[in-house]
Amino acid sequence: MAVNYNAEPILTVKGLKQYFKVSSTFTVKAVDDVSFDIYPGETYGLVGESGSGKSTIGRSVIRLYDPTAGEIHFNGRDISGKLSKADNQALRTQMQMIFQDPMASLNPRKKVRDILGEGLDIHHLYKTKEERETIIKNILAKVGLAPEHAARYPHQFSGGQRQRVGIARALIMNPKLIIADECISALDVSIQAQVVNLMKDIQEETGLAYLFIAHDLSMVKYISDRIGVLHLGHLLETGTTDEIFANPVHPYTRSLLSAIPEPNPRVEKNRKSMTYDYATSGIDYNVGSYHSMGGQHQVFGTDEEIAKWTSEKF
Amino acid sequence: MSETKEKILKIKDLDITFKTTAGPVHAIRGVNIDLYKGETVAIVGESGSGKSVTMKAAMGILASNATVDSGSIEFTYTHADGSRETVDILTKDKKWIRKHINGKRIAMVFQDPMTSLDPTMTIGKQIMEGMIWHFKTPKKEAWDKAVELLKEVGISDAEKRMKNYPHQLSGGMRQRVVIAIALACNPDLLICDEPTTALDVTIQAKIIELIKRIQDERGISVIYITHDLGVVAKVADYVNVMYAGKIVEKGTIDEIFYDPRHPYTWGLLSAMPDLNTDDRRLYTIPGSPPNLLHEKTGDAFAPRNRYALEIDDKLEPPMFQVTDTHYAATWLLDERAPKVEMPAELKARIERMKEEAKKNGSEL
Repeated sequence: MAVNYNAEPILTVKGLKQYFKVSSTFTVKAVDDVSFDIYPGETYGLVGESGSGKSTIGRSVIRLYDPTAGEIHFNGRDISGKLSKADNQALRTQMQMIFQDPMASLNPRKKVRDILGEGLDIHHLYKTKEERETIIKNILAKVGLAPEHAARYPHQFSGGQRQRVGIARALIMNPKLIIADECISALDVSIQAQVVNLMKDIQEETGLAYLFIAHDLSMVKYISDRIGVLHLGHLLETGTTDEIFANPVHPYTRSLLSAIPEPNPRVEKNRKSMTYDYATSGIDYNVGSYHSMGGQHQVFGTDEEIAKWTSEKF
Repeated sequence: MSETKEKILKIKDLDITFKTTAGPVHAIRGVNIDLYKGETVAIVGESGSGKSVTMKAAMGILASNATVDSGSIEFTYTHADGSRETVDILTKDKKWIRKHINGKRIAMVFQDPMTSLDPTMTIGKQIMEGMIWHFKTPKKEAWDKAVELLKEVGISDAEKRMKNYPHQLSGGMRQRVVIAIALACNPDLLICDEPTTALDVTIQAKIIELIKRIQDERGISVIYITHDLGVVAKVADYVNVMYAGKIVEKGTIDEIFYDPRHPYTWGLLSAMPDLNTDDRRLYTIPGSPPNLLHEKTGDAFAPRNRYALEIDDKLEPPMFQVTDTHYAATWLLDERAPKVEMPAELKARIERMKEEAKKNGSEL
């Protein structure tokens, strides 16, 4: 689906900082000055190794954490400060999350009907019992489950079906943005493809936007329109999927891309992955600015660094 | 690969059933695997397909509710004086296996390094443990060898690290330590059970390259258990694709990746997008892996197979031979079967892969 980049972004994150104070002398800077936009109908992929802050960004955006600094605008509302009741109401319905492990994120003591219906109950989104039932049935059908599945408990499903319930729970509120935090990592390969196809179909149909957080780069490349590369809480490079994969500039991005195993034995056997070590690279993430590489492509670094990286061939 | 291939491991017609409260689960249904010295075999399959159980049987560490109904696991190893001996692991008791096989001749690397290391013991001690137990190596000598091993697996400051506890190391470092422990007794066979699944891509690549390097240097055989075809492409010489306790396709790495014959292998290959996939939708295998509690007649894959024939519901397909090394268990290869081509998406993809291989200077 073509994304209109001239439209008003659905989500704008500006200078987001999320610090965790561990002790009086030690603060973890999990996210440090990260800015990005997501447009309606777009899938924005966040990639990086564990500890890079990608999940923290997702959780700060949906306000599971209180951001230390920075602005978050969602659908025209400022949702970074203290939330008013109306803002909270809008945020809780229009932004939803899909979690990594469906077994851990679904209440084992509730039937699927009540897991899905919880949001409807809280926000009074139906008038009669029958209406509630119809909404639940429709959403189940949408994610490829049968109506009778509503009466089952999460443990009675297979992993892929459970994740479908997780997706249904997010969709039932008709959100404008879904944060998918490693939502396919815990699934089997053949099931991953089913879930990704489902997510794409739903996007096509409803025009919602995804913030897709994952470490599996080949899947991210497949599903995302644009990608942001994170390392140690800093957004190092962002751009459309094609721009990043065809012309990675930052050494960290290059090392990430070189590490993706490709299912092509003849090529793979002769390939060596690149090493990137922040401590010895001489790069300081705290100095520099974003440099445009044309199009949507932006790279973070000092002028000299950018000149050096662009002259090297990947 | 040596000229005269020495067989290390021969698993023949292995059949394993688990007794559970819900009834017997027929987890392994006639598995055959051959492994030669210095080679790498990958076992690919989804969770529950029986790949780990097969290897646990070879290590003699099956759960107590498992019974081996039939089959043999012949393991050939070299004594210190150079003489060779072949044993059927299934006929030996646990104590004998513990003393002669586990850790000494067959070593295993597990998925999660945090759970496979002892958190209360320094890593130095954990590396030395096996040598002291199996070979009665003097402590000083074991210490020196452990330091050597840590250097070999790429850990800097080895002497200092010897006194560290597992929690002081990062995930990638921990897995390196696990590999060092596995190598401590000079095993003939290294089994890696999803060695990189819990690790990041960048670290994953490093660990795989490490295992590969060590294999080349020491000439040991490696069995990889994984569901990641990218990893398989990088390491394996031979591939076995498992589904519901059976090997459905086996062949050399080139045969499996460039000329797959079984619909399940087609599905696996196309379900993982490569970096050039621009198809709008991924080709998927419908449904989910079967519950082995309810055994069905015929081909276990038939309900998920869009190319299933009528006979698939009645009779299990035998292994059809494609080439000397390539076999697949699907009725599609029978001469009476209608001619079915692999999905067009996959075909285009394989063409692309070949093209790329050509560019890399190793044409098929």
